[in-house]
Amino acid sequence: MSTIEVNNLSKQYGDVQALDDVSFTIDDGEFVVLLGESGAGKSTLLRCLNGITEPTSGSVIIDGEEVDGPRDDVAMIFQQHYILEEMTAYSNALTGSLGRTGFFQSLLGRYPEEDKHEALRALETVGLLDEANQRTSSMSGGQQQRVGIARALVQQPNLLLADEPVASLDPASAEVVMRYIREAAAARNLSTIASLHQVNIAREFGERFLGMKDGKLVFDGDRDEFTVDTIDEIYGDIETDSIREEQRMEVEP
Amino acid sequence: MSTDDASGSVANRLLDIQIERRIRLVFAFVAVVGFAVVFRFALNLVGFSVVEIFRFREPFIAALKQFFPGFPLIDVTQYWAFIQERNLILSIENGRIVPGAMFVTFAMGLAGTILGLPGALLLGVLGSERVMPYPLNFVFRGTMSIIRAIPALVWALIYIPLGGVSPFTATLAIGTDTMGNLGRLFTDALEEVEDGPIEAIQSTGASAPQRVVFGMLSQVLTPFIAWTMYILEINTRVAVTMGLIGGGGLGAVLTAQRGLFKYTNMMATIVVIFLLVVSVEIVSQRVRSYIRGDTDSASLIQLIVEFPQRMARSAFK
Repeated sequence: MSTIEVNNLSKQYGDVQALDDVSFTIDDGEFVVLLGESGAGKSTLLRCLNGITEPTSGSVIIDGEEVDGPRDDVAMIFQQHYILEEMTAYSNALTGSLGRTGFFQSLLGRYPEEDKHEALRALETVGLLDEANQRTSSMSGGQQQRVGIARALVQQPNLLLADEPVASLDPASAEVVMRYIREAAAARNLSTIASLHQVNIAREFGERFLGMKDGKLVFDGDRDEFTVDTIDEIYGDIETDSIREEQRMEVEP
Repeated sequence: MSTDDASGSVANRLLDIQIERRIRLVFAFVAVVGFAVVFRFALNLVGFSVVEIFRFREPFIAALKQFFPGFPLIDVTQYWAFIQERNLILSIENGRIVPGAMFVTFAMGLAGTILGLPGALLLGVLGSERVMPYPLNFVFRGTMSIIRAIPALVWALIYIPLGGVSPFTATLAIGTDTMGNLGRLFTDALEEVEDGPIEAIQSTGASAPQRVVFGMLSQVLTPFIAWTMYILEINTRVAVTMGLIGGGGLGAVLTAQRGLFKYTNMMATIVVIFLLVVSVEIVSQRVRSYIRGDTDSASLIQLIVEFPQRMARSAFK
């Protein structure tokens, strides 16, 4: 539903160059995986796309409009989910519509009927319709993260950002959560950028890959170009030995 | 030799430690002497004397015998007679329930808490640095400090022109006091909120007031309810003392009986005060532990709905 243009984006925190002249373009409905070590600048990039963080220089343009603050057409899923644990899954999903609801309406819980339906549809998308009225503090980490996804979907965004959405989940929950994100994005033709730590999950879910190192964009390519050498370039020589082993096994027998 | 060097440095270290300990001991001694002097000064200032206690032991023991009639077997029927005579708890007249002094006192505490709640919420939220930028929040913090600096009893005296000393003005005083105390607790609770959920709400494109309500207040809903219950406990006790200066309820009965030197009646009133304060505390603590625990909202409803079943089950056991 939208194209994202990132032009010469840089961000400096004191002496630290978190982002260094990053540029790329993302087309409508692409599922992009952002890779890089901790501190490579992934979170900063996502926060700039979201408008929570202001870049030092450069710009983010979504559908020809420059991002200059948090906007309701860009939704974010956080690593620590950051949902409101005091509230039910349904109430949390509804907060996704705050941007288009007046203050007093939202205070009194008088959301438009279609937003209420939207919230429940989003919970259905992430498989939590039956748990809609459950307090989120009693949910598992994977369920809480899915509530976070539902909130992002209720925002009806044009761009979905996910900042290490599965980093604090066990491998099984991580798979489930990633699958829900991809399915939701596909069903709504949402452009998605998800930063990930786990190379194996990235390979399974990514269509296009962006690799970052020390604030610079060091890789931009699709699945075919995303080779083991690329992973080495992004992460150094760790992590890839098992994948190389696996590939050798696939080729040899 | 290296071993000599090592033992030499060990000896030096020991000496250092011993000197340090000795200095600390001297400081401790000076502090104890200082406290003793200050304590003595304070006792002199209040005219404290053991001789006085000894001299008045006879009348005090006589009073104790009235406080506890029939000691050591306390004659509770005398208490009960007074409780009924003056309607301290409640009575039934012509089939109608007439709430007694205990309920008047509780009503002062409850109504005062509820009246003060909106003000406490407003002052408490605006006093937080997380909501109001730094110098501005001190306007609200300062207002709360001024309110707190004046005790509830003094607020009741200030409100006298509004209608004398009555349960009404006492309730107003408790409400005012609540704004200062509860507001301060709200401000403190708000300092603890996490940034993550606020940022998440911000990222949905929510407006600034929505960010405060959903990002911050929703995080402190549980502590806010818990602190309000705690203040209700305190206000119930304050409501008793309000009666002592004429605000009605149990306190007024107590001070009237003291004037008549009816110590048995006084103790009967104190028993009812104890009953009220402890009941409020038990209920408040149950509510607080309930909301702190992660039990579903359904379980309270279950508790009520399934109550007849449980009663029946235990009855036929």
